[in-house]
Amino acid sequence: MHPAMPPTTGAPAGRARRTAVPRRRLLRGLLAVTVAAPLMFGAAACGDDESAADPNAPIKLSIFWWGADARAKLTEDALALYTKKNPNVTFEKTWQANQGYFDKLATLTAGGNPPDLFQIDDNYLSEYAARNTTLDLTPYQESGKLDTSKFPKSLWQYGVVDGKLAGLAAGENTQGLVYNKTLLIKNNLPEPTTGMTWEQHIAWAEEVAKKTGVPGTQDPSADYKAFWVWLRQQGKDLYKGKELGFGAEDVAKWFELWKGARDRKATPTADVIHEGNSSDISKQLVVTGKSATSWVWANQMPDLKKNTKDELGVIAYPGDPSAQWARASMYWSVFKGSKHKDVAVDVINFLNNDTEAVKLLGTDRGLPSNLDLRRVVSDDTTDPAMKQSIAVEAELTEKFGESPQVPIKGHSKVKSELIKAAENAQYGRATPAQAAAQFVEACKAAIA
Amino acid sequence: MALTTAPDPTRRGPGTDRAHAEKRGPGRIRHSEGLAGYVFLSPWLIGLMGITAVPMLLSLYLSFTNYDILTPFSEAQWVGLANYERMFTADPSYWHSVRVTLTFALIAVPLKLAAALGVALLLNRAWRGVGLFRGLFYLPSLLGGSVALAIVWVNMFNRDGAFNSLLSLFGIEGKPWVNDPDWALQTLMVLAIWQFGAPMVIFLAGLKQVPTELYEAASVDGAGRFSQFRNITLPMLSPVIFFNLVLETINGFQGFTAAFVLSNGTGGPVDSTLMYTLNLYITGFTDLEMGYASAMAWVFLLAIAVITAIFFSTGRFWVHYSDGEDR
Repeated sequence: MHPAMPPTTGAPAGRARRTAVPRRRLLRGLLAVTVAAPLMFGAAACGDDESAADPNAPIKLSIFWWGADARAKLTEDALALYTKKNPNVTFEKTWQANQGYFDKLATLTAGGNPPDLFQIDDNYLSEYAARNTTLDLTPYQESGKLDTSKFPKSLWQYGVVDGKLAGLAAGENTQGLVYNKTLLIKNNLPEPTTGMTWEQHIAWAEEVAKKTGVPGTQDPSADYKAFWVWLRQQGKDLYKGKELGFGAEDVAKWFELWKGARDRKATPTADVIHEGNSSDISKQLVVTGKSATSWVWANQMPDLKKNTKDELGVIAYPGDPSAQWARASMYWSVFKGSKHKDVAVDVINFLNNDTEAVKLLGTDRGLPSNLDLRRVVSDDTTDPAMKQSIAVEAELTEKFGESPQVPIKGHSKVKSELIKAAENAQYGRATPAQAAAQFVEACKAAIA
Repeated sequence: MALTTAPDPTRRGPGTDRAHAEKRGPGRIRHSEGLAGYVFLSPWLIGLMGITAVPMLLSLYLSFTNYDILTPFSEAQWVGLANYERMFTADPSYWHSVRVTLTFALIAVPLKLAAALGVALLLNRAWRGVGLFRGLFYLPSLLGGSVALAIVWVNMFNRDGAFNSLLSLFGIEGKPWVNDPDWALQTLMVLAIWQFGAPMVIFLAGLKQVPTELYEAASVDGAGRFSQFRNITLPMLSPVIFFNLVLETINGFQGFTAAFVLSNGTGGPVDSTLMYTLNLYITGFTDLEMGYASAMAWVFLLAIAVITAIFFSTGRFWVHYSDGEDR
């Protein structure tokens, strides 16, 4: 912003010299317009007409999601199908990449103009629900307008915030450890398996590093989802009610575990770990060849596969797999102030329970939440990476435990603080215990 | 060709004065012209009010509230000075971002100006192809705060980037510059310094205004190159230096894009690139603490105003205007 002089400052001189009444009036008029105009626009944006009672009246529903071109294509097709079946409903579709999505959603919400229907994830579901932005879907669920009878119970429950169903899972997903199969086979190394202990995993990674020169595993100490699974295996959790579900000594133990792994050269160096901590899938170390393993979500397999020629395998995170759960990869939520709530809920129901729609959408948002339709889709799919991911998820589903509560308000800050603390330890700027203490301190401030 | 186009600064002097004289009497502008002026200005005025002034006042109000962007504006909770108190007493990452920004501005701005002046002096000569070089040096700053450039920078200064390949030719082992908390900020500084084109062009314009007789007279008196630079060029150029200094300092404080891209919007590794504006952005949009972020923004505005005021108050000791009677 440059400190440009507003041109109006030139005016008073002229006004003083000439008794130019019209000019003064003009100025005053201009001022009134400039002050009033934004107010008027603001008022228009807040206007809240009641929707007409006529069920066949044309309805335009705004919908907003993040994702790539492929997802946009699939979603547009599914929505077109809805319009075909309900000709009075059309959609105003907006989508964009993940980066910046939540900034835009928050800004729209602040302007009193959020979309009727939007995609959201567990990082923000509580934030939005706690502020009464999302519609409580429970009444619709009870009346059967929103059918969750074919959903795994723990999956829809992972959308409940403070007793209200704030969002409905658009797909199921879980933590997945993805490894480079080609590299292992070439070097006659064993593949890791679900159920290995953390210690076994690190020992295996050390072995891989020694034999191939490629560090066996990415150091996930900055990765909240790995930390979370590990915590649950220790009988703790990320959150308990509105509090943290762990203490500084737990974090210190976690950081120690990975310090040990780094010292044994089972993981890459700190700067490479930092690269892999990026949320950008194409920078995951398993596809850039800088590590034999990456800690991701199981449904990211197909995306990872696009970035490498090597064969990939996927298993559960180390330790007891019952610490993992059927996680909603993302949700659909309805804006509480929407003029077309019922229709928006019906669209969610359609996207999750209509056979044709679910077949169209495939596994792009995770495995279909409706178990009957999941079977249909998995029989249909031809993508080998996706087939693998479905198989793993199917195998794990039986071992899954209870869902934890949805992360609370302040979660995004907790995530970034974990990265900061873990990197402090990785770069050797703090001992695990110091970094852990700082982290817990920062978390308490963040969720207060 | 360059010789013939070199302007004669002595001829320009009186002309400029006349222009000043005309500008000083706005009362003489005819009334209808004034009206037309306001009409033409009105889109800008409406923009100023709607897009700048009103939101600024709102943000001032919000800075005294506990407001997150998701709730309606009317529910913002008045908390008095609590946000300011928290900033100054209870937020270590705030002070960290202040330190990062100051370090960046204190090092990058002087070096950038020095580079701009140095190259401007070289390009002020009349030699073959000088225009091409002026263009080439200006090019990086045309790209400005572009995201593409920052991405190129990240890839150049990676562990396996072009810069390290170059170093390895000389047998030097590189570093993971952008992924090393000890070096990430310096990498950003180099990027900022490299974009010295804009101040360079302004310096060039300033150098053209220095009357050549001064140099002729000085060399008759036996002054050497360095002495001429010190006693003629620098004083004559001081208004331009002042202008560039103020502008570039403000720019330096506002550095955002490169830090954002380089760190994926996190300020990492380990907060080493957590510039003030990036911290502000994260606070407002990721942590959803818009009230607190507004307070940070207002402190930022005041800090820049104070720094600019300091520049202006010290300026009279070292900024010389040749046409002294004009001020």
